Amino acid sequence: MERVRKKAVKTWEHLNESSFEVRTDDFRDVCRHLYEDLHAILRVMFACDEREKDGLFRIYTVFDLPGHDRFFIIVLPVQESDPRFPSLTQTIPAAHWYEREIRDLFGLSAQGHPDGRRLVFHEAFPADSHPLRKDWSMSETDKQEWGGGTTIKVPHPFMEVSGEGIVEIPVGPVHAGIIEPGHFRFSAIGETIFFLEPRLFYTHKGTEKHFETLAFPEGVKLAERVSGTSSFAHGAAYCMAVERMLGIAITEKASAVRTLVLELERIYNHIGDIGNMCAGTALSLGYMKGAVIKEQLMQLNEILTGSRYLRGLNVVGGVTKDVFEQADDILKTLDGATREYKALMELLLGSVSHVERLENTGKLSKDIARKLGVTGVAARASGLTDDLRKSHPHLLYDRLIFEAHTHEKGDVLARMMIRAEETECSLSMVQALLEGGYTGDLTVPLKAAPPFASALGYVETPRGSLFYWVMSDKDGKPLRVKLRSPSYCNWPAVPFAVHGNIVPDFPLCNKSFNLSYSGTDM
Amino acid sequence: MIKEILKNVFSKKQVIQFPEGFKVSPEQKAKIVDFQKKIDTIFRRSLRIRQVDAGSCNACEWECTALTNPIYDIQRFGIDFVASPRHADVLLVTGPVSRQMELALKRTALATPEPRLVVACGDCAKDGGIYKGSYAVTNGVANVIPVDAVIPGCPPTPTAIILALSELIDKVCTMN
Repeated sequence: MERVRKKAVKTWEHLNESSFEVRTDDFRDVCRHLYEDLHAILRVMFACDEREKDGLFRIYTVFDLPGHDRFFIIVLPVQESDPRFPSLTQTIPAAHWYEREIRDLFGLSAQGHPDGRRLVFHEAFPADSHPLRKDWSMSETDKQEWGGGTTIKVPHPFMEVSGEGIVEIPVGPVHAGIIEPGHFRFSAIGETIFFLEPRLFYTHKGTEKHFETLAFPEGVKLAERVSGTSSFAHGAAYCMAVERMLGIAITEKASAVRTLVLELERIYNHIGDIGNMCAGTALSLGYMKGAVIKEQLMQLNEILTGSRYLRGLNVVGGVTKDVFEQADDILKTLDGATREYKALMELLLGSVSHVERLENTGKLSKDIARKLGVTGVAARASGLTDDLRKSHPHLLYDRLIFEAHTHEKGDVLARMMIRAEETECSLSMVQALLEGGYTGDLTVPLKAAPPFASALGYVETPRGSLFYWVMSDKDGKPLRVKLRSPSYCNWPAVPFAVHGNIVPDFPLCNKSFNLSYSGTDM
Repeated sequence: MIKEILKNVFSKKQVIQFPEGFKVSPEQKAKIVDFQKKIDTIFRRSLRIRQVDAGSCNACEWECTALTNPIYDIQRFGIDFVASPRHADVLLVTGPVSRQMELALKRTALATPEPRLVVACGDCAKDGGIYKGSYAVTNGVANVIPVDAVIPGCPPTPTAIILALSELIDKVCTMN
């Protein structure tokens, strides 16, 4: 760390965030040192248009050092007259999407990035148009042409595999099932997938820009609608970021409610995912049993919060309802669900045809998982101990007894087993949480946002680590809201996991990751 | 597992029309039963839906998936979700229609044979919902393709979707 401190032009601290502003020449070396010598994980990288403050763009690279409850943020100022910065991708492969995204949204280009294509915008989006710049606007004609989709403004060549016996199979964006849109291009030799290139961002809704139009307290509603099945986690992470920026601490009661509901969200997602994997192996009985348990849990969600997706409970400064008053409902439903869930697991693990399909399918190696910054269930199934609840204890997680489960194999079975173990663990965590008495009001009064203040918010969602970063402008309104969903980190790993598998196993591999398109596309 | 399947096949369980988890009022039950009769006669026991995600957050999709679970089990009313728009009577569109999905949605609508019904499912599909006004969305399905019915809700519950479909079919019947 000394080396980073020495190279820093400016250093500042806020809660568990240490920020170091560095010069362009030192940027790559400082990041390389953190990543290679100190084994830091690149959590998120983004730009911010701070020209109204001091005429500069800034690039924030957030590192997480194993063993420290502290985030190290490397800040790089970029001049408007010279909109370039050194690319990290060659050293830190996990930076590859972030850097392409920064180019698309801000027009700052990463020098030395191996992929010159756009990431977020498709062919019909005009060149040199960068929506997250504050002075950006778009003509009606451009919008019409973008939606029309047939005017090619910037071509997007897919990577091609050539050779004898290679067939290309394009799939999507509209798929056969009830799922989200995305385009997949398989290059297959017979039935075996040799190469897969996903094309996402069909559901890009301009979420980050839209956050800037809403006042901080109203942003929760939008955060809850970024990714359906992680609604509560997104709301909680957003609230946490805003609360940390405002410098307010929520009460013990509110923390307990958030912790409890985060675990309930994890349970319904994990059980639902285990059931859905059965759809990938045509085990209808398991699929339907999983769906029934999930439905019971979603009805519990509705009883607790009025929303089957746990929406409306989070507000900046706390929560709207004390769900502990309904502890009986929770215990009753979980009791029944646990029994059915155990029977389901017995059925699945006792079915040789099911387990045989999962074993050795969709293997993701530990090395690739680390290089791509894979997070959550996928990371833990490949042997990485990555769990924000452990490494950065937030809310009441430091009081609960649990462990970060890991498996070494990285196949579909490992991902299922991680979910199964975590479900059991979460069930006991809910029991423990319901026993304690918690004090404090549901909400605390808000303060006015100081000018140009920023903070991170983070939670461990059922899919993995989720980050929000917020910054206020001179009037205390949102200048920038960055969100990084776990799916964003895990999508680039899917092509590596399916390499060498047969095309019919792709849905199974995909279901074992269960990634959100909407959370990725923003 | 085989034991379990055989038990279900040979047991003398009665068919429960509305299981415990399917929370509906008696009037709503009557509506759904009437709906099923209409599907039997007008659509010859098969109303086929193609669901299209045009930028939703995935909550609406999960509610559509929930419709096929053993509790709601819409297949028993003769309704099912199909894989291809070419097999569909109804196009159920969710999401505010992001600009990058506009073309795909139009093409899916073109691939659906006439007469087709288009349903905008959820607050986003209705008018953009929370995303209304964002640069990357078109503020609702009606701005892209003609819509026959709207189902409000964020997301609409599975029961709300069934009831809205029954109202749509009622409307179609009175028109003819």
